[in-house]
Amino acid sequence: MNLITKLLFLGLSFTPAATFFTWDGAVAWSLFNGITLSFDLTPLSAFFMLLLAIGAPLIAVPMLREKSDESAYALYALLLLGMQLLLLAGDFIGFFIGWEMMTWSSYLLLLRSPRTDLEGAQSYILFNLASAFLLLAGMLFLYSITDDFRIQAVDGLLTADKLVLFVLFSLAFLIKVGALPLHLWVPRSYDQAPDLFSAFLSALMSKMGIYGLMILPLLFPDGFSEISGRFLNGPVAGYVLAWIGVITATIATFKAISQEDMKRLLAYSSIAQVGYIVTALGVGSSLAIGGALFQALVHTLVKLLLFITIAGIILQTGHRRFTDLGQLISRMPISFFGVLIGIIGLAGMPPLPGFAAKYLMYVGLIEAHWLLLLAAMILASTASFVYCYKLIYGPFLGHANSPEAKTATEAPWQYLIPQIILMGMLVALGIFPGWAIDVLIDPVLIGLNMTPIGAPTWAQLSTNYGGYDGVVLMSVFATVFVLITALFLLIRGNMHRAASPYDLSFCGEVPTADTPLHYGAGMGRELRRVPLIGWILRHTTTGFYAGLTRQTQAAAGVIGTLYGSNPQTWLLLAVLIFAVTLTIQSVTGA
Amino acid sequence: MAHYIIDALAMLGMSYVMGFLFYGFYRQFNARVQRRWGPSVFQNFFDNMKFLFKTETIIHGPMFFFGPMIIFAGAVTTVLFVPYLKDSNWLQGFSHSGNLILIIYLLVVGPLGNALAVGSSGNPFGVMGVTRGLTRLMGLEVPFLLGLALVMVQHETASVHAIMAAQTDFAHWNLMTNPIAFIVMILPFMASQHASPFDVVGAPVEVYAGPRVEFSGRLLGVLMTQNMMMTVAKLVLIADLFLGGATTIWALIAKTFALFLLTAAVSTSFPRLRTEQTVDFFWKIPLGLGVIGVIATVWFPWS
Repeated sequence: MNLITKLLFLGLSFTPAATFFTWDGAVAWSLFNGITLSFDLTPLSAFFMLLLAIGAPLIAVPMLREKSDESAYALYALLLLGMQLLLLAGDFIGFFIGWEMMTWSSYLLLLRSPRTDLEGAQSYILFNLASAFLLLAGMLFLYSITDDFRIQAVDGLLTADKLVLFVLFSLAFLIKVGALPLHLWVPRSYDQAPDLFSAFLSALMSKMGIYGLMILPLLFPDGFSEISGRFLNGPVAGYVLAWIGVITATIATFKAISQEDMKRLLAYSSIAQVGYIVTALGVGSSLAIGGALFQALVHTLVKLLLFITIAGIILQTGHRRFTDLGQLISRMPISFFGVLIGIIGLAGMPPLPGFAAKYLMYVGLIEAHWLLLLAAMILASTASFVYCYKLIYGPFLGHANSPEAKTATEAPWQYLIPQIILMGMLVALGIFPGWAIDVLIDPVLIGLNMTPIGAPTWAQLSTNYGGYDGVVLMSVFATVFVLITALFLLIRGNMHRAASPYDLSFCGEVPTADTPLHYGAGMGRELRRVPLIGWILRHTTTGFYAGLTRQTQAAAGVIGTLYGSNPQTWLLLAVLIFAVTLTIQSVTGA
Repeated sequence: MAHYIIDALAMLGMSYVMGFLFYGFYRQFNARVQRRWGPSVFQNFFDNMKFLFKTETIIHGPMFFFGPMIIFAGAVTTVLFVPYLKDSNWLQGFSHSGNLILIIYLLVVGPLGNALAVGSSGNPFGVMGVTRGLTRLMGLEVPFLLGLALVMVQHETASVHAIMAAQTDFAHWNLMTNPIAFIVMILPFMASQHASPFDVVGAPVEVYAGPRVEFSGRLLGVLMTQNMMMTVAKLVLIADLFLGGATTIWALIAKTFALFLLTAAVSTSFPRLRTEQTVDFFWKIPLGLGVIGVIATVWFPWS
C-alpha cells in the first residue's frame, strides 16, 4: 500500500513532462456570455513547463525516502495541477484559477512543516493573497475596458489605462518574484518550509512570477515604450523595472552574506538571482530576454541542486547553521561536488552555463547603453562570490564544529541521484550554450515576435557583440588541468599529508581541539566596515515598513489638525468650497 | 593542431619570461627607491625554481592539492584567451573563441580556486585572507568593468580583436579617444595585479595571515608561477584595449612594460590601505568618475 502510494506520487510528478511532450492543439471551453476558457501550450509557456517537468520529478525522488504522507502528496498534486493550469491558460480566468490553486496548496504545504511559525505563515499568505488580488484587479480592469479576458496585445487604449494595467500586473508578479521591498515572505517561507519543498518554492514557484512578468510584453508588444517613452535604447518603464531588479539583487546579496543559516542564505540568494532576471526583462531587447530565459533555466537547475544537497546535509547532521558544521568534504564528497557545481553556476563562472546567462544579460545592458545598471549588476554579481564561498566553506571545509558533523555519512541515494543528474545537466549546458539558445530559447523569442539570437554551432554562444565557444573553453581548461596535475606529480619530490588537522601555522602556537578554528559564521562580518554595506545591513525591510507606518501616522496627524474641533469652521469651509465651485462653473460656462 | 600547440607554448613561455623579468625589475626598482641594492633581475626565476624543486610538500587533503591546480589551469586558460599580437597568426592562442567579458571572468577563476584550497587547509587566518581578497575583488570589479564597458560601448563589441583593430594609430588609441575609461579602470587594474597600496590581502610583512599562509614547497612554486603569468596576461589585455595592441613582440614588451612601470611607481609611492578603505575608495573615486563618464559620454548625446 505504502509502496503503491509512493509510486503513484512519483508518477504524478511526471505529469508536467507528460503535458509537455503530449500536448497538441488548443482546447477551448465555452463559458457564459461568450467568454471562453482557452488552454494552449505557447512557446513561452512550453519553456516554463519544461522547467517544471525537470524539477518536479527530481524533487519527488528524495521525497520518496520519507514515510509516505498522503495529504502532502495530495497537496503536491493540487500544486502541480495549478501550475500547469496557469501555464496553459490562454486567458486570465484560467491563469487566475491556476494562480490561486498554486497559492493555497503551497500555503497548506508550508503549514505542514514543524518549523513554520505564525509570522512566517501569515506573511506568506498575506503577500501571496495581495499578489493574487492585484492580479484579479488587473484582469477585471482589463475586462472592463476591452470586454475580453484573453492574454493578447492590448492596443487602442489610453496611455493612462495602459499604465494602470502595467502597474497592477507588474506589482502582482513582483511580489511573487520577491522584489524589494515586497520580499518579506521569501526568506521566512524558504527557511521554514520542509527542506525539499524549499527547493520547489525557490526553483519552480518563483519562476511563475517570472512567467507572469514575461506575459507583460505579450500585452504590450511595443515593449512598454508606448506607456512611458524611451530612454537611451530602451523604454522608461523598463528602466524603472530594471532598477527595481538590480537594487533587489544588490541588497539581497549583502543580506545573503550576513546570514548564518544555509537555507536563509539560499533564500536571499534566490531573491538576488531572480532580481537579475527582472533587470534583463526591463531591458526588453531580444538579447536581454534571451539572457533572462537562460538565467531562469540556470537558476532553476542550480537552486534544485543546492536545496536538495543542503536538504541532504540537514538530514544527515541535523544542523543548518554554518557554525555547527564543517569538514564534511571527506565524509560527503558527492554532496561537496553538488554544492561546488552549484556555486560555480550561481556565481556565473565561465565553464558553467551561469556565465552564458550573465554574458547575455551584460551584453543586453551594454547594447542598451544602460551602463549604470550594468555597474550595479556587476556589484551584486561579484559580491555573490562571498556568499558562494561561505556556502561551501561553512559545511564542507574548515574544521568540524559539532559531534554530528564529525560522524556524518554521505546522504542517501535518493538525494544523490537528482544531484548527479543536475550536475550533469549543468556541465552539459556549460559546454553547449548554443544548444540551449537554439533549442530552448530561440523558439520562445520567435513566439514573442523578437529576433532570435541564433547559434552557429551548439558549442558557440554568439551575439553581434561577439561570443565564445564552450567546447574550446572547457577543453582548454580541462587539458591544462590534467597536464599540470600530471606534470606536478611527475616532478621529483615527496608530498604528504599534514600529521593532524591542527598542524597549522597559527601565530607560532599549536592549536588544540578546543581552539575555535572554524571561520564559518563569522565570514563576511567584517564587510560591515565598508560604509555602504554597513548602511545596507543596518537597515531592514521590517524597519522600512515600521518607518512607513510612523510617517503615515505623522502625516495623518498633520492632516488631522486641519479639521478643527469647531463645527462652525467646517460649515464655513463647505459653504466657501460650494461658492467657489459655483463661481468657477459659471465663469467657464459649464 | 600543431600550430595551436606551438602557439600556446610560445605564449606561455613568453608570459613566464616576461613575468619573472618584470617582477625582478620591480624588486630592483623598489630597492633603489629605498636606497638599497636589491636582488638581481633574475631573482624571481631563481626563487621560483627553488620552490618548484623542493623535496617536501605538505598538503591538507585532496582539495588543498587540487586548488592550486585549478588556479594554474585558470591562469593558463586566461593567457591563452588574450590575443598577444595584432594582425598576426602567432601568439593568438584561442582568443578567437573568446571575448572580453569571458576574459574578465576567467581572471576570477584563480581567486576562487585559491579560496577552496585555503578553506580546505583549515587555517582560519587563511580564510580571513580569502574573505579580504573577495571583498577587495568586489570593490575593484565594479569600476574596472565599468571602464571596460565604456570601451565596449564605444566600439559596440565585446571582442578584443575588433577593439584592437579599431585603434589604427596613436590618435585612435582608446587612451586618446576614451581617456576617461582609462582613468576609471587603471587603479582597479593595479589592485587586480595585487599591487600596493591595495595589497593588504597578501601583504608579505605586516599581515601574518593571508591566502597563501599554508602553502609550501612545490605548491607555492605553482602559485608563484601562475601569478607571474597572470600579471603579464592582464598587462597585455590592457595594452590591447587601450594602447592599440602590438604588432611586434618588441612593441608588446614596450607597452606592457610602460603599464608595469606605472603600476610600480604608484606602488612605491603610496602607503597601504586597509581592505574596507580600498573598497570604499574604489566605490567613491574611480566609480564616481565612471558615473560622470557614463553621463558625459553615453547619456549626453541623448540618443
